[in-house]
Amino acid sequence: MRPPRFGLPDLGLGVGLRTPHFSHILRENPAVDWFEIISENFMDSGGRPRYVLEQVAERYPVVMHGVSLSVGSSDPLDREYLRKLKGLATAVDARWVSDHVCWTGVAGRNTHDLLPLPYNDATLAHVVARVRVVQDVLERPLILENPSSYVGFAASTMPEWEFVARLAEEADCGLLLDVNNVFVSAMNHDFDPVEYLQKVPHHRVVQFHLAGHTDCGTHRIDTHDGPVIDPVWDLYRLANRLTGGAATLLEWDANIPTFPEVHAEVLKAKRHLAGQAADPVSASVVRSAVTHTGAPNPIAHMVPEVA
Amino acid sequence: MASADHPLDRIQRWMQAVMTHPTGVEGGIDSDEARQEIDVGLGELERVLTRSRSLSAADRLGVYCGAYYARLLECLREEFPTVVHALERELFDEFAVGYLQSYPSPSYTLNDLGANFPRYLAETCPADEDETGWAAFLIDLATLERTYSEVFDGPGVEGRELLTPERLSSIPPGQWPDARLVPAPDLRLLELRSPVHEYTRAVRREENPSIPTPAETLLAIHRREYVVRRHLINRTQHTLLNGLIAGDTVENAIGQSAEHAGDDLDAFAADLHGWFQTWAAEGFFQAVVLSD
Repeated sequence: MRPPRFGLPDLGLGVGLRTPHFSHILRENPAVDWFEIISENFMDSGGRPRYVLEQVAERYPVVMHGVSLSVGSSDPLDREYLRKLKGLATAVDARWVSDHVCWTGVAGRNTHDLLPLPYNDATLAHVVARVRVVQDVLERPLILENPSSYVGFAASTMPEWEFVARLAEEADCGLLLDVNNVFVSAMNHDFDPVEYLQKVPHHRVVQFHLAGHTDCGTHRIDTHDGPVIDPVWDLYRLANRLTGGAATLLEWDANIPTFPEVHAEVLKAKRHLAGQAADPVSASVVRSAVTHTGAPNPIAHMVPEVA
Repeated sequence: MASADHPLDRIQRWMQAVMTHPTGVEGGIDSDEARQEIDVGLGELERVLTRSRSLSAADRLGVYCGAYYARLLECLREEFPTVVHALERELFDEFAVGYLQSYPSPSYTLNDLGANFPRYLAETCPADEDETGWAAFLIDLATLERTYSEVFDGPGVEGRELLTPERLSSIPPGQWPDARLVPAPDLRLLELRSPVHEYTRAVRREENPSIPTPAETLLAIHRREYVVRRHLINRTQHTLLNGLIAGDTVENAIGQSAEHAGDDLDAFAADLHGWFQTWAAEGFFQAVVLSD
């Protein structure tokens, strides 16, 4: 039997590596526990992004987080993609490789969105088989994240937490528990987020995600454009208690503030876990949180530097 | 698969057809592409999607419909900022929505999203458009910005040994004609119909430049220390570099370029030495291959 969390370490409090912070990170060597990268941004890179990643990987633990595996798609798995993913994981000594319980496209297309699945036995068997193939190719456990989503299917026969739990057990994979996604989807699908956290297999949780979102009144959108709100911190505290703690990563992908502000946001986790209230968020963070137009993530694109 | 009525592959093709339809949920559901997968109308949508306490099934699906174009348009605007400037955002978005319908992304990376945008602009250019007109300007602008993206993140020579001016000078004169130069993988040549590079530079400086006057514009674009650089070159230099990149011997490449050098071949010969030295110093070439 595999050890809890596949023997993978609790890396501490990490930050998503984003283009606007490249220069700051290389120059200042901030005291961050670890970085998470968007895998697809670096798989083919031969330029500065890859150079920066190599520098970062020499100084910090790196985890790879993908947005295009499309493990739930009815299209065949992309073997060339898996080959490149594995190559990058080796090159940067990725501590683990994660993606989402979702599909991103079909019929040869990629919508670049993380789309939800109908949760039933047939879909479960389909995804379990594909996760096993991915793990065989990568020769390491795949860590899968619960998605944020906005539609449910009439064909679903089980709640998301049950699908995720059975998937993890049957495919023998790890979980990236995105606490913000649980909070977002709880409103969008009228489920109890506490029950969700209680029911997922805690010994398989390798990592947590935290992020900001947009509350539209009738639904929530996972925009990654602001600070983590208190109800999500509350869920994070519960998730830590239930699982015994795991590596924690803050995602901030739109209206990205300075690196110190992003880093300070994830460091609040220490105080929340100690049961203390966090400091009020800075004015610039609040401004950035209210000016975004609200497209769900992922948005991940490199902008060239031209002399 | 998902259910006896709607297996997973049909649900996915249906949902993709709906959410990528440019007119939104209702138009998407009624599109032929969606109907041939799952034949439901708006009033029957709950046969496929459930409602929440606060939103109808159609409203929930609308989140994905809105997000698809919002996300991809944002990426295209980032990659083509000066095309956006030239067209203004509303018109750019119209072109971009058309592009995404003609060239939906097949790639796992958003870095490839704009790869065919210049081609799309050329394909949709009015047939009676003047070669030096507005459409040509936009196509060239998009071509330049896409080239910048490809050179920025493509393979390069940082950290590698390159052909230096000193090494070039050390080649025995007798071996020079048959020598072949190995170009750096980031070196690209562009033939444009107006100096759009000046336009892009001005826009990046947050100036408001006029549309440039049409004039043949030849550029050599490459990357040095991870920053994209461009050099304005003349037709003779372009032909010479083109031949060298294609793998011609130095003698053959020079011979082809001499056709554009005019009558003063002594001046041309004198220029050649300086050009090769400058290009080597810029890192245009990785190595020289000498014949035995």
